[in-house]
Amino acid sequence: MDVVVQQTVNALALGGTYALLALGLAMVFSVLGLINFAHGELMTVTGYAMYFVLTAGLPFEIAVLVGIVAAIATAMLMERVAFRPVRNAGTATMLLTSFAVSTILHMLFQNLISARPKALPVPDWMIGALNIAGFDIGVIQLMSISATALLLFALTVFLRRSTLGIAMRAASLDFPVTRLMGINANMVISTAFAISGLLAGVAGVLWLAQRGSVDPLMGFLPVLKAFIAVVLGGLGSLSGAVLGGFTLAFIEVALRAFLPDDWLPFRESIALALVILLLLVRPEGLLGRKEAIR
Amino acid sequence: MSRSNWLKTTAMTAALAGAVFASGTAAAENFKVGYAGGFTGYLAPYDQPSLKGVQLAIDEINAAGGIGGTMPIELIVKDTRSDTAQAAVVAQELVDDGVSVMIVSCDVDPAVASGVIAQAAEIPSVSSCASTPTLPAAVGPYMFSNYTADNLQATVLASYAREQGLENAYVLLSRDTPYTEKLPEYFAEVFAAMGGNVVAVGEFTIGQQDFSAEVTNIKGLDPQPDVIMTAAYEPDFPAFLKQLRAAGITAQVLGSDGIDSPTTFGLGDVAEGVVFSNAGFPSEGSPLAAYEAAYEAKYGEPNDTVFTATGYDAMLVIAAAVEAAGSTDGAAIRDAWDNLENVQVATGTMTYKGQNRVPVRVVALNQVSGGERVHVGDFTPDPSQIPAP
Amino acid sequence: MSNEAALLSVEGLVVRYGAIEAVRGADLSVRQGEIVTLLGANGAGKSSILNAIMGLVPVAGGRVVLEGNDVGGEPPEKIVRRGMTLTPEGRRVFANLTVAENLSIGAATRRDRAEVEATRSDMLELFPILAERRDQLAGTLSGGEQQMLAIARSMMSQPKIVLLDEPSLGLAPQIVDTIFELIVRLRDRGATILLVEQNVELALEIADRGYVLASGAIALEGSARELSASGDVERAYMGAH
Ligand SMILES: Nc1ncnc2c1ncn2[C@@H]1O[C@H](COP(=O)(O)OP(=O)(O)O)[C@@H](O)[C@H]1O
Ligand SMILES: [Mg+2]
Repeated sequence: MDVVVQQTVNALALGGTYALLALGLAMVFSVLGLINFAHGELMTVTGYAMYFVLTAGLPFEIAVLVGIVAAIATAMLMERVAFRPVRNAGTATMLLTSFAVSTILHMLFQNLISARPKALPVPDWMIGALNIAGFDIGVIQLMSISATALLLFALTVFLRRSTLGIAMRAASLDFPVTRLMGINANMVISTAFAISGLLAGVAGVLWLAQRGSVDPLMGFLPVLKAFIAVVLGGLGSLSGAVLGGFTLAFIEVALRAFLPDDWLPFRESIALALVILLLLVRPEGLLGRKEAIR
Repeated sequence: MSRSNWLKTTAMTAALAGAVFASGTAAAENFKVGYAGGFTGYLAPYDQPSLKGVQLAIDEINAAGGIGGTMPIELIVKDTRSDTAQAAVVAQELVDDGVSVMIVSCDVDPAVASGVIAQAAEIPSVSSCASTPTLPAAVGPYMFSNYTADNLQATVLASYAREQGLENAYVLLSRDTPYTEKLPEYFAEVFAAMGGNVVAVGEFTIGQQDFSAEVTNIKGLDPQPDVIMTAAYEPDFPAFLKQLRAAGITAQVLGSDGIDSPTTFGLGDVAEGVVFSNAGFPSEGSPLAAYEAAYEAKYGEPNDTVFTATGYDAMLVIAAAVEAAGSTDGAAIRDAWDNLENVQVATGTMTYKGQNRVPVRVVALNQVSGGERVHVGDFTPDPSQIPAP
Repeated sequence: MSNEAALLSVEGLVVRYGAIEAVRGADLSVRQGEIVTLLGANGAGKSSILNAIMGLVPVAGGRVVLEGNDVGGEPPEKIVRRGMTLTPEGRRVFANLTVAENLSIGAATRRDRAEVEATRSDMLELFPILAERRDQLAGTLSGGEQQMLAIARSMMSQPKIVLLDEPSLGLAPQIVDTIFELIVRLRDRGATILLVEQNVELALEIADRGYVLASGAIALEGSARELSASGDVERAYMGAH
């Protein structure tokens, strides 16, 4: 029983980072119909920004702030420079563009910074664990859970209460009609990218604090996981992306924790099979709409 | 579409133009060495540093007039983009360019892909840092290893653990690469053969970031392990270590050369006491210390990985083989290479004679102490203890 | 047929989808305070005209003049800010937003909160059912209620002119009557309306003037009375097929 509670805490912490990433991906998808495969590179940008700030001898807190701001700025820049010019060229073109952006960023990181990982030391207080009622909760785990809760709460308030937030939800349902409400398409899309940058930046800080280094290709795997989470939750559904992130984390942690040793080599395939099974039962995803309202 | 393609093409061309060049002047009696490496993509962290070491060695050799003082080396570099199919294509191009020796990628799959092309053309080839001991046998008599083999490293680590009186081992492996899978398996084999008890073997996926499930499992083990061994490297090793220590597990942690990186030394308290193996320790007055100084002089920054040094080693071995052969003929070089003994390289000495093209070289153990590297010792295990590949 | 008094005039409008020319040089105009109806069979090009006027599809030729300004080629969000809006075919309310949120977003272009609240109470008075359903998700409303919400949402921006695309589509006859009564009431409160319909009889009953579109071109135009009196409308319809 205790182990189950402990592993649940573990899954919640992991699910938090998945959820943040997936939500960012879903945010952009919902307004643009684009799965931005360069999303993971935003985490890498956060990492390098932190690295440069720390190398300059500034405190860790400043590095975190600069890292997150860098991710937001990069996301908005990506939209302005790469995606806006091809926005009307169809989703396939935009998808290819996002691959190109990702590849170009990899090359820039590898050739202008280093192909080798750069160390990103985190303060010792982040590495410890708290023992609460007999359960270990790592400080980073705790930060992950609380940052996710905080961001999801803030984002919910923004999406429910502010006109721009309501406009973003409307845009995710029917973009042309949202424009008929007098809402500026560029504004909505730019905001979606900014939010996706914020979420990727925060997820990036949490991820980087665990791994202790930044390297050019580190964004690839997280964006893959986030993509699975988004599809699992239902493409275009924001709450679905969050649910998909947590579901994926629970599946992964449960398999790694409770699978018999002989089965361990197949845990990734079993996890994917479970995801596919869920999608067979609910092809539109956990919270996806049955059909697009267009 | 056309715009993004244009960008992509331009960026790639620029990157390749940076990587493809020849050093030395193209005279008739130049000795041509080809390098088919993954200078972009996932192998760049290994092949880029190797290339830097190779270039440093060539600079030094050519400054002294070339191999044997008379034959300058010309290096032809081609990028495989870390793609196995491209590794074969690029190797064929190098054969067509008339290279006499080929250096291939650090990862086994592209190394084999390039190696079989060189083998067919009867050109000796060497992987600067692939550590799988079966690689030369998999390709054929023209393929050589350069780097410390996994089974050798594992044996040194296991002997050390037993000598420290450690009894119960937990081993964490990943089946994603031969390195992360086999090295811990060799360790478990030797550790058990030396009377130790392997309590459990855990598995991870490269890049999984979250090790909380594995750590919770380790906490539940009986008996508790007093030594934990893994060949995980960045980003997995730091994440695993942090979560392990956060859970209050204090067992001795043993790692392999993959964690020989500034990241490990930047981890702070959690890394304290970690012991890892690698290809050499730059003690005062050692050839490796001299190498590090030369590296910094050429590149303007300190060397941050042993892969530059082993690239340098590979080039020195090639030069030694050519000089011993007294010929640029592939078969002659191959035979001379296979009989090299005690070649002085940056990390120590290397011997190929009688080793089936997998060199004997020293394994150094290092300990992390106060964020610094402390030399535990250099080891050359008894061949009878090394598990068969 | 440029008309000095026209609030909106469309001159020689051409709309293309790839090789298909859906609208081939249509002219029409709407004066302040009028209900003008644009009739035509399915596929005649009615929606294409409205969408082109609003900037939702590109104007391939001709002009769209609103209050003397050529707005052809401007994006929809800009045209809405100029005081013209469209209630699209099929209603297209934001299904996962509440009724109240749908109305709020309709007023996204307006800054003065007090004035927005005034318009909102106005609309809730005109469409009392929406007041009852305030906090319900729009997707759960009936078809007629959704149509009312779509119209009310358009009115929230206080437009000078509203384009209504087939408000009767798919609704039961009594509901259609209610909707048309509401349209008349909107006009009585000062709105100007361009009404696209397939329900010829009802449309001509409430309209001042009408146009009949066949195969992308205006086949017939006149006052509503003339058009209903002559049998020409039916003939023009037939000509479309
Ligand atoms: N987005 C589109 N792409 C291609 N053809 C279209 C598109 N929209 C409408 N059409 C075509 O244009 C013609 C006019 O359509 P439409 O304007 O919707 O007519 P109406 O509203 O009068 O029924 C039809 O032949 C229709 O098939
Ligand atoms: Mg229509």
